Amino acid sequence: MTTHTDPPEGAHADGDDERLPCGRPLSQVWDDRERRTDTPHLAGCPHCQGAVRDLEQLETAVRGLREETRETSAYDAEPLTRRVMDLVRLELRPGCPVPLGDPAEDLWIMETVAARALRSAAETVEGVRAGSCRVVDAAGAVAVRLDIHAPANAGLRQLAERVRQRVREAADRELGMVTASVDIRVTDLVDTRAEGREGDTA
Amino acid sequence: MAGARRPTAPPDTGEDTGDTLLVVRAAEGDEDAFAALVRAHAPALIRLATRLLGTPAEAEDAVQEAFLSAWRRLPEFHGQASFGTWMYRIVTNRCLNVLRARRPVAPLESAGEVPAAEHTTSPARITEARDAVRELREALDLLSAEQRACWVLRELDGRSYEFVADAVGISQDAVRARVFRARRCLTRALGAWR
Repeated sequence: MTTHTDPPEGAHADGDDERLPCGRPLSQVWDDRERRTDTPHLAGCPHCQGAVRDLEQLETAVRGLREETRETSAYDAEPLTRRVMDLVRLELRPGCPVPLGDPAEDLWIMETVAARALRSAAETVEGVRAGSCRVVDAAGAVAVRLDIHAPANAGLRQLAERVRQRVREAADRELGMVTASVDIRVTDLVDTRAEGREGDTA
Repeated sequence: MAGARRPTAPPDTGEDTGDTLLVVRAAEGDEDAFAALVRAHAPALIRLATRLLGTPAEAEDAVQEAFLSAWRRLPEFHGQASFGTWMYRIVTNRCLNVLRARRPVAPLESAGEVPAAEHTTSPARITEARDAVRELREALDLLSAEQRACWVLRELDGRSYEFVADAVGISQDAVRARVFRARRCLTRALGAWR
């Protein structure tokens, strides 16, 4: 952090503050104003009252500026999102390849791509949302470890089994990937009544 | 201005468990998850950057770069803060760099010592509210990058001193000092100075 443009001492250090003709430091008058502390001195001091008026005039302008820049609901995030994602897709993020098919086939898929398909498969089970999905090479087959948020009212054992089943099927049918294991970890229970935010996952 | 303050909601207030999942997925390279995060957080971050920089075009550039930086750094993001707070910091720092690059350092130090404008005694200074807002917007350019960042986060965005200190990476005392200097500079520039 560069601080050379501003000495790091407190605002109230000598030389930085300013004394009003009545002897009160300006910072103190404004601090009192900010804390809504009415002092007997203020009531009778024209200098302090003047300083408070200055601050209030600034506050009025600040409110106007705040209103001007408040409108975010109207902001269309799509063009920015597109630009960001165009750049993101140009980034080469190193990932791990995992084996597809038989060990002899020498066919690989990037972990991120496989994970995307497996997460989608897991989310075909009602109420399940997928988080971390790691797919690692396990001697020619792959070991999958998937974190999910599960509906709070579900029987977790059966739910996990259904998720495991869907993941295995997708790995086999969509990717042609041999799964050695599919570990499911429930990292949160979600109140299903609060659901209806599926749009979030895009 | 504590009493008049209407804090805008922190970016993470509405953050549901969905954000957590999206962050994990994005960190593992899921671009769609990251796009959803960008879409959700862009409006608040654009507002922040516009307040810090003054122009929507510069704000868009800053936020775009901040998101790209976030994408690169996501694998190291372990959720110490919420994603919203993390992005808020990245955007603040990005904007600070833009502000610092705008003009040389030397004149900034004296920004707080701008002499009272000659017109301050004129009775015609009783201006329309819109003029005051315009004057304030222009006066913000008198502040140093650090003063401006601290003042905007505190006064326009309604953050606590603690939050600002964390976002800017300086002590709370240093934030208070900058906010005080900024207020003094701005009250003078608005022509209210005695």
